[in-house]
Amino acid sequence: MRSTVALASTLLLLGCSSELPAPLPLAHPDDPTPRRGGILQTATFGDIRSLDPANLGDGLAPQLVQLLYAGLVDYDRDGNIVPDLAERFELDPSGTRYRFFLRHGVRFHDGEELTAEDVRRSFRRSLARKTPNAAKSFYFTIQGAEDYANGKADDIAGLKVDDTYIVSFQLKEPDATFLPVLSLQAVRPVCRSAGEAFSADFFPCGAGPFKLKSWLPGERVSLVRHDGYFRPGLPYLDGIEFTIGVSMLAQRLKFQSGALDLFRDILQPDLLRYRKDPRWKPYGAYDPASQMAGEGMNVEMAPFDNVELRRAVSSAIDREQYRLVKPTMLHALTQPVPQGVRGHNPKLVCQKYDYEAALEHMRRAGYAYDPKAKTGGYPRTIPYYAYPAGITEYTSQVLAQQLARIGIRLDLRLVSYAAWLAITHRRGQAAFSYQGWKSDYSDPSNFTETLFHSSAINDEDSNNPSFYANPKLDAMLDAAHKEMDGPKRAGMYDAIQQFICDEAPWAFTYSVSFYNVWQPYVRGYKPHPMWQNEVKETWLDRPGAGRGDPASRRGGHGREALLSPARSLPRDP
Amino acid sequence: MIALAPIAKRFGRGLFAIWAVVTLSFFLHAVLPSDPARIAAGPQARPQDVAAIREEMGLDRGVLARYGIFLGRLVHVSSETPPESGRGKGPHASCKALGPLHFDLGKSYQQRRGVLTVLAERLPRTMMLAIVALLFQLLFGVTLGSWAAKNRGTLLSRAFMSGSLLGVSLPTFVLGVILQYVFAHRLGLLPLDGYGNTWPEHLKAVILPGLTLGIYGAAYYARLTRDEVEGELKSDYVRTARAKGASPARALVVHALRNALLPISTAAALDLGALVGGAIVTESVFRWPGIGSLGISALLDRDGPVLMGTVLVTAAAVVLSNMLADATYGALDPRTRN
Repeated sequence: MRSTVALASTLLLLGCSSELPAPLPLAHPDDPTPRRGGILQTATFGDIRSLDPANLGDGLAPQLVQLLYAGLVDYDRDGNIVPDLAERFELDPSGTRYRFFLRHGVRFHDGEELTAEDVRRSFRRSLARKTPNAAKSFYFTIQGAEDYANGKADDIAGLKVDDTYIVSFQLKEPDATFLPVLSLQAVRPVCRSAGEAFSADFFPCGAGPFKLKSWLPGERVSLVRHDGYFRPGLPYLDGIEFTIGVSMLAQRLKFQSGALDLFRDILQPDLLRYRKDPRWKPYGAYDPASQMAGEGMNVEMAPFDNVELRRAVSSAIDREQYRLVKPTMLHALTQPVPQGVRGHNPKLVCQKYDYEAALEHMRRAGYAYDPKAKTGGYPRTIPYYAYPAGITEYTSQVLAQQLARIGIRLDLRLVSYAAWLAITHRRGQAAFSYQGWKSDYSDPSNFTETLFHSSAINDEDSNNPSFYANPKLDAMLDAAHKEMDGPKRAGMYDAIQQFICDEAPWAFTYSVSFYNVWQPYVRGYKPHPMWQNEVKETWLDRPGAGRGDPASRRGGHGREALLSPARSLPRDP
Repeated sequence: MIALAPIAKRFGRGLFAIWAVVTLSFFLHAVLPSDPARIAAGPQARPQDVAAIREEMGLDRGVLARYGIFLGRLVHVSSETPPESGRGKGPHASCKALGPLHFDLGKSYQQRRGVLTVLAERLPRTMMLAIVALLFQLLFGVTLGSWAAKNRGTLLSRAFMSGSLLGVSLPTFVLGVILQYVFAHRLGLLPLDGYGNTWPEHLKAVILPGLTLGIYGAAYYARLTRDEVEGELKSDYVRTARAKGASPARALVVHALRNALLPISTAAALDLGALVGGAIVTESVFRWPGIGSLGISALLDRDGPVLMGTVLVTAAAVVLSNMLADATYGALDPRTRN
């Protein structure tokens, strides 16, 4: 549905509009001093299911949750993990015990002071057995967390309140991913009104820079500034309004009329024009590429139990052709870790297009192919599973054409997203499929250990959809997981990536990044390395805007309502 | 008593049809190759976390057990007062009460609140759009059809009827976007999309989606009306009325159109049922928070309880609209009352 509407919109707009309107001016172009006030208007085409950090299942909620709740640590604008609610932290020499020293006087949205006990309570609430938190296992590195989550213990043994403002975590073993995992939102402290146990009727309340004013599910979320926020003077905005379920066309029209200040769900033709137009170029930028895709080969199923055949696939794919499917947002990728995530090494060319090498791998696999006579190759057609997502419909055809050149024929099966998830992550179901991964946290382990460690294999819902298991790789991943020395660890992940590329359980193909466009009067904004719509330090400098009163400058239809977008094309009655 | 028996019989058949549709949908949804817990947990959740959520949702039970629970709680008796929000804990948190009688379709897997609460929000909005759309359809369709019947064969009549063919052929997602572009973006007369916060805003907001469905459906009514009225205009009673001095307009509206209303009203009643089931594409284009978009989201997200709720509403709407069509026969044509 969304893609159909987008297509219709594109065709119509190509016919209906010629040039982009000029950017709306800012009031004080020569004055860089931030000003308080105003409500930022932005939108998304998706829907948000929950604003409780203990129950985040969709990809959109985190951008709001990170504004509502502060964590012990967070990512700064350069992608470094820095103390946030914590003033500082210490790691003991054994590398297994962290102590966090909280800032004094931090206030929740309801005015209560945040203490170490609130950190502990929020952890317990989030990891409790009956809490529908899909990220519990991220924290099983804490001693006793797994037993607590499974209902085998009444408390998290490794989580202690040492003092009103000191909380400590005893880990099972040294873990270089603990801080990145701690920066995630699932365990960020929630107000005491949230109680000890998860309940769906909790009114979102944390210690973040904004607090929730109202939420009309499927329609709109309104946030207002938390005046008790612990960083003095921040945030500058009076509030933010997220309109939900707005199509890409509608977002563009609203942006052009000034009803949206910032947007990122941009149709490809519009994106090209915004990027090209010198008036708009200073007001657009890409998010870091933190999402990647690849062709997953199930090593437990023929013919991909043959490593040479996997290598042939990896060598036969010209990633540049993939990039050209959507050059405004795709980047060719030759290694597991995408360009916007820590651990990506631009010097590393792990997998690359080499047609002659691909033919040689086919020969070694026992399926020699003669491209002139077009004889030989793998004798059976291989089913390939993907779901239509606006890109895969096309990349799967590119894949089929490229593999046909080495004698591999595919039967492309585009299925629903839900069916794709079930089929391709179930043991023995799909030999070949589209796969992708989006950064949970900025660390190379999130793209290697999570996807290729044997412990990630499961009969159902396997996180390792190629079912690749190799004790040597497991040992390398385990060692890197524990390594606390940064440069040494980076070298270990280079070797891991090289190893994975050579074994080719996936052929890595492209990474994805999204373009943001904002009006010039949205100042102090730039895409954040981790969070979308990070606007703590953003301010509005719009001429004639009443301080903090968007209604006065917008007029018209400040309402909106909506529902989540449909993604297929049924007919109206 | 004599009149009540067929009504009761018809009502019983309607209930059976609703039960059959809902039951079939329940089992079809259950056998789809997908996992609602995985969808709720997100594509990157680890297996143990998905398993915990599956258990929490009750999806670790067999399909027959789940169907038994579904039917058992659909209508039951309780003295507890359920919360307004449809959230919270307890066995009756997602119920709606009518005295001691409780109705319960369970909780949405995605929204984690009572399905009846969600439907209660959505249904009035869908009804509003359905009624406005039908009014537009009838207004445009019957007017154009009557005029075309009266002026059959003229160039203008042929042009209008060809235009109506375009109306039928134009998909609502194209028509909707054109109307948005012209009336909202270029002229700024109406909201681009959304539902609004106040009644005046709702009324302004419903015009474009209503018009989209109205133009789309009007073409059908124009053709139906033209054919029916044209047949009536050739009837003896119209000729008699004209001979007795009735003006052409009176002969057309009072005599011919009135007698052509039977098939038109039947079609309108059935259309109303279909529209209450949700205009999925139009609701999505205009961000209209109705039943159609809710249903399609529920299907794609494998949100079984919400899906069953939308199926129930749709089935009930179709059954009731059929009854309405039957009732209009009697009102419009006294000969059918017995």
